[in-house]
Amino acid sequence: MVQLFLEFLSNTGFALADYRHFIMILIGIIFIYLGIAKHYEPLLLVPIGFGILVGNIPVFKGLGLGIYEDNSVLHYLYMGVTSGVYPPLIFLGIGALTDFSTMLARPMLMLLGAAAQMGIFLTFLGALALGFAPNEAASIGIIGGADGPTAIFLTAKLAPHLIGPIAVAAYSYMALVPVIQPPIMKLLTSRKERLIRMEEPREVSKKEKIIFPIIGFLLCCFVAPAALPLLGMLFFGNLLKECVVAERLAQAARTSVLDTVTILLGLTVGASTQADVFLTPQSVGIFILGATAFGVATASGVIFAKIMNMFLKTKINPLLGAAGVSAVPDSARVVQMVGQAEDPNNFLLMHAMAPNISGVIGSAIGAGVLWSFIG
Amino acid sequence: MYGLENISAHNGWAISFVGVTIVFTGLTLLCLTIAQLHKILDIWENKDKYINNRNHKTLTSTPANAVPKPCMPVEELETIRQYKMIADRLEQPFSLPKLLDIAVKIGLERPHSTINTLLVKKIIISDGKGYFIWTS
Repeated sequence: MVQLFLEFLSNTGFALADYRHFIMILIGIIFIYLGIAKHYEPLLLVPIGFGILVGNIPVFKGLGLGIYEDNSVLHYLYMGVTSGVYPPLIFLGIGALTDFSTMLARPMLMLLGAAAQMGIFLTFLGALALGFAPNEAASIGIIGGADGPTAIFLTAKLAPHLIGPIAVAAYSYMALVPVIQPPIMKLLTSRKERLIRMEEPREVSKKEKIIFPIIGFLLCCFVAPAALPLLGMLFFGNLLKECVVAERLAQAARTSVLDTVTILLGLTVGASTQADVFLTPQSVGIFILGATAFGVATASGVIFAKIMNMFLKTKINPLLGAAGVSAVPDSARVVQMVGQAEDPNNFLLMHAMAPNISGVIGSAIGAGVLWSFIG
Repeated sequence: MYGLENISAHNGWAISFVGVTIVFTGLTLLCLTIAQLHKILDIWENKDKYINNRNHKTLTSTPANAVPKPCMPVEELETIRQYKMIADRLEQPFSLPKLLDIAVKIGLERPHSTINTLLVKKIIISDGKGYFIWTS
């Protein structure tokens, strides 16, 4: 009986744990705290945080419990991440939630979304310079797109062993957008520029909103066919929303489908961040590059807005360039916040949504391009 | 390998440049298309108005001294043709009372009304010296 008891004890988490498990459990608890107490992206950080706890419970290998064991439940749920199924489903829900009218009213602001995607490619170069292989560098670079599903989709295709640290880095920095962006925005703009007020956008007709997802999908996927899974679902979701006749499907896409996939994605990505995979010098490099990616993307968007102003009669507020970082809608809210700090009556949120949304399209195109070059 | 060597070895510069170009191209094309979309929809929804405007522009683009051809019923055109024959006999410029007199003598119907119509439609115009000329 003593032998049995000792055998049982040797299979408990207490016996199997080492210091790295406790570090990861602490990180998981911090994520949950940030999500619940600080309201930093709770829909992402709470599932990811709890997933980190799930993935770092020390278990005996071979019992089919761990996420990397073939016959485990978590492994089957994780297949939606590794096969690239979950991110397009999330884009379906995002498309069904998104109102493209601000972008349709002022299409020129889309170029700010394009400029911000330079953060992807500059970070890609930085990762190569640090010695990462091209597939890893591309997966790290896509963090600069500030789009969680896109980052997970591309990493699953190119460097699945890095999904954990890249997803955690991407979502962490998305949650920290209100901390990362404002200093860069203030550094690159003058007070006079921050005070620029935008013209009222024109009214967008229902027909435009219905035709846009069809034209947008055809145009973007003809230019970058590798972006088909993500952009196809994004524009399909938007068409369901705008056509009105399929409101039931749009409702399902933006509620039950989106919420279910978010839960499964967050939980399994968190669970994939096991200590032996996550606590490596490589992960430190990924986190540093991820922060750089966000900073470079913000700076690229703001600088491009200033360049555009050299040629425009009616100036645009260069703060809008920061909204090209496609952390929807947080970066648009940051633009509003920084603008209002200078002029409380300057309402930039609505205008910032245009580059914000085009950034989502741009990051999906960027991911498609990297996948087609390196995949 | 690290640094610029690793970038060059893996074609990093080319991939980055082409990647940025493709992203910009895609979004620029989308931007240009969207910018025209509402104009195309406006033309499509109001195509009758645009066609009528185009026809009106064609009509008003005739020379300044040209008289627009009257759109009249066939009987009216026949009456005008008869008055034209009288005007030709009188030679230009002619006296309007004389034209009226001959029209009454021949027995043409409603001579006063017809001559008034010819004046309103500028088929007969004054030469500024008390006489009138028949325009083509």
